[in-house]
Formats: sequence, structure tokens, C-alpha cells
Amino acid sequence: MTPRVVLRLALVTFALLVLQTTIVLSVRIDGVHPDLVWLLAITAALLDGPETGAIVGFWAGLAFDLVLPTPLGLSALVGCILGYSTGMAVGSVDRRARWLAPVAAAFGAAAADMLFAVLGGIFGQQQMVQINFLAVALVVGLSSALLVIPVNWLMRWALFPDGVDRSLVSAQSTSSRPW
Amino acid sequence: MVVLLVVSLTIISVDLNGRTHSLTSGVKSVANNIFSPIRGAVVDVFSPIGNFFAGALHYGSVQSENEKLQATIGALHAEAAEKAFQQKQLRQLAALENIPYLQSLSTVTAQTINENSSNFTSTITIDKGRSSGVDVGMPVVAAGGLVGQVIQSFSRSSVVQLVNDGQSKVGANNLANTVLGTVDGQGPTAPMTLDQVPFDTPVHKGDLLYTSGLDASAYPPGIPVARIASFHNTPGAVQETITVTPAADLHSALSYVDVVQYQPVPSP
Repeated sequence: MTPRVVLRLALVTFALLVLQTTIVLSVRIDGVHPDLVWLLAITAALLDGPETGAIVGFWAGLAFDLVLPTPLGLSALVGCILGYSTGMAVGSVDRRARWLAPVAAAFGAAAADMLFAVLGGIFGQQQMVQINFLAVALVVGLSSALLVIPVNWLMRWALFPDGVDRSLVSAQSTSSRPW
Repeated sequence: MVVLLVVSLTIISVDLNGRTHSLTSGVKSVANNIFSPIRGAVVDVFSPIGNFFAGALHYGSVQSENEKLQATIGALHAEAAEKAFQQKQLRQLAALENIPYLQSLSTVTAQTINENSSNFTSTITIDKGRSSGVDVGMPVVAAGGLVGQVIQSFSRSSVVQLVNDGQSKVGANNLANTVLGTVDGQGPTAPMTLDQVPFDTPVHKGDLLYTSGLDASAYPPGIPVARIASFHNTPGAVQETITVTPAADLHSALSYVDVVQYQPVPSP
């Protein structure tokens, strides 16, 4: 990952963090608002595979954790798992398929929220499992399916500054990776 | 991948450990101090857009809320004539009941700048923090009664856990002191309960419950917490099943709140 890519990823994450805590929070259906953080991990995984998905999911989650009242590191953990799982799940699918991003976003984001709540409960945050799971899954899943399109553009801009789709992870040796 | 998982779990452990929590709360505090002004500026610029979408999505509920508000205004007009007399009565009652938060404790008025920033917690963010004397553990009240408790305090903002949050527990009793229990939050979408009330204790629907202030409670005594909504005794149970509704309006009346600068007296 070049410094240019890292800088662009940081900018995209920050932009989505600002959006999440301002406009997105005011858009609620049945008390539930969309969750943008998972889209970063999902789109990174779709565009560049499981390792990039895990790395982007981890750092994006950590950034969101800093401003959320939930335990620090929980979104990072879920983001990491989500990015890796998404990359692995779509490994054998033609990534040019138009349905792929919305479907992956809908199921991935809903699953991530469920995992987030369950892990929170395991870590002693009982209030996190006292939610309307169906409403959260539906609202977060459907909103993610819509919002993944613009986030996918942003992620493509961040990951491939030269406009060429080539894997950033496999292009470098393991020892030279900054993570 | 494994390294990232281990790092995540380590950060969570550090955050949830009472002895090392100050490290992560310090990091969160710095991040919030930097982020809050940026967020505030963006809100000022873009809030009309968010309000537009929110209004479009909730047109029906906004309309019914408007009708309810109109009815409330009418009722308030009718009550206004009696207000002076009631205020006099209230002052006398407050003196009789020796409600400390009304008499000696100072408060900091704060504006709510964010509600339920996560789908998994019931919290609000207020625009006052340590620089204004707001600290972790302080009770937060609104016009109707107890709103919650400060759980995170940054330089210029704080996070308040609402009484209906699943982690919230408030010791409460009624005015006659015949009912003593714990008002237990069950999450933003579920009704709160009054726990630990022995079987067959006489309770009445509509009874107001106040913070008990017992045993180094986190809250001073006498703040209205909740009103009894329903109750029933299940044969064989050791305690009554009681549901309560928050005394304060947690949905539409939290634009401004008062933080009570109260620190609990430690147990001897």
C-alpha cells in the first residue's frame, strides 16, 4: 500500500465518519439508522480481496470506535472479520457482476451488525443484544445495498489512484506490507 | 488477519478493564475533542438536508406529533391559571420532602447535539464537557425527571446513557416509600421494568417513582425516574412483574438537559 493509497483511504474513511455522525444519524426508520462503516470493509474486499478488506475494515472500524459509545476495538474486530469474510465469500464469483455489490453489502452489513451486537453482549455490554434485530438487519441491510454504489466509487478512487484495477496486496511481498 | 484480530481483542480488553480504561478513554477524549468541532460545522451546513429526508420519511408521525403538540398547548393554557398555586404547593412539598437536588446542587444546562449515535445503545451526546464541570457519573435531568447518567466526558462534550438503555439501573421508591426497587432499562425499543419488588407489594398504576438515594447511590434522592405502567403477580414468583415508563420524555423533549453536579457519597 503506497502512502498515496493510505492517504486516500484515510480521507474516504473520514468523509464517511462525518456523514455517519451527521446526515445519516438523522435518517432513521423505526429508530434504526444506516451503518456506513461496514461498507468500507465490504467494498475494499470486493475490489481487492480478503486481506485488503480485513485491513480497511480494521482501521475504518477503529476510527468509528473513537466516536461511538460502544467499546473501543469492537467495530475494528467486526470490520476485520467482515472484510476478510466478504473477500473469501466472493472469491469464486465474477466481480464484474452488477448484482454482487448490493447483495454483498445487504447481507454483509446485516451480518456485521448482528455479530457486533453478539460480540458486545459477550464482552459484557448486555444492552447491545436488547435491540430489535429484525429492524436493524432490514434497515441496515437495505440501506447498505443502496449506499454501496457511491461508497464503491470512493473506494475504487482510494485503492486504485492510477485508475488500474490491480491487487495492491499481491503486488507486494508480505514483508514489505505496512501492517 | 490474525495480527489484526489479536490487536482488536487487546484494545477491547484494555477498554473494558477498569484499571486500564483511562488509557482508551483518554484516546477517545482526544479524538472527540478534535472531531466535535468538525462535526458541528458539518451539522450546521447540512442539517437542513438531513431534516428534509427525515421529514420525508416520517411525514405521518410528524403530522400526528404536531396534533399532539397542539393538544398539549391547549392543556397547558388551561393549567396556566393554576400554575402559581401549584408552584407554591410544589415549593412546600419540595421543602417537606427535602429534595436535595432542587435546593443545593448546582446544574449545568446543555444542548443535545447527537442522539443514539449507535444502533446498539440508548445515548445522547451533549455540548458540555469537563471544561464546564460535567464529569462521568453525574445525573442528567430534563423537565419530566431523570434522563440518565454521564458515561463519557470529554473536554467540550459528554455522552449520556439514557435510563432506558439496557445497562441502566436506578434505585427507586415511591413517595410513600412502600415500593422500593430498581428501575431497569431494557433497551430503546422495550419498556423499562421495576425489579426487586417483593411479591404482593401493593403498587398502583400511575404511581411516580423517585431516585431513592440509598447506599451511596449514583443519584441524589427525589428525582422522578419513572411511572408505573402495569403490574401483575405471577403465582410462585418471588417478585412482582412491573413495567414502567420514563418520567422524562426521552423521544422528543431532550433538546436541552440539565447535568446535576452530584457526586455520590462513598459508603462508610
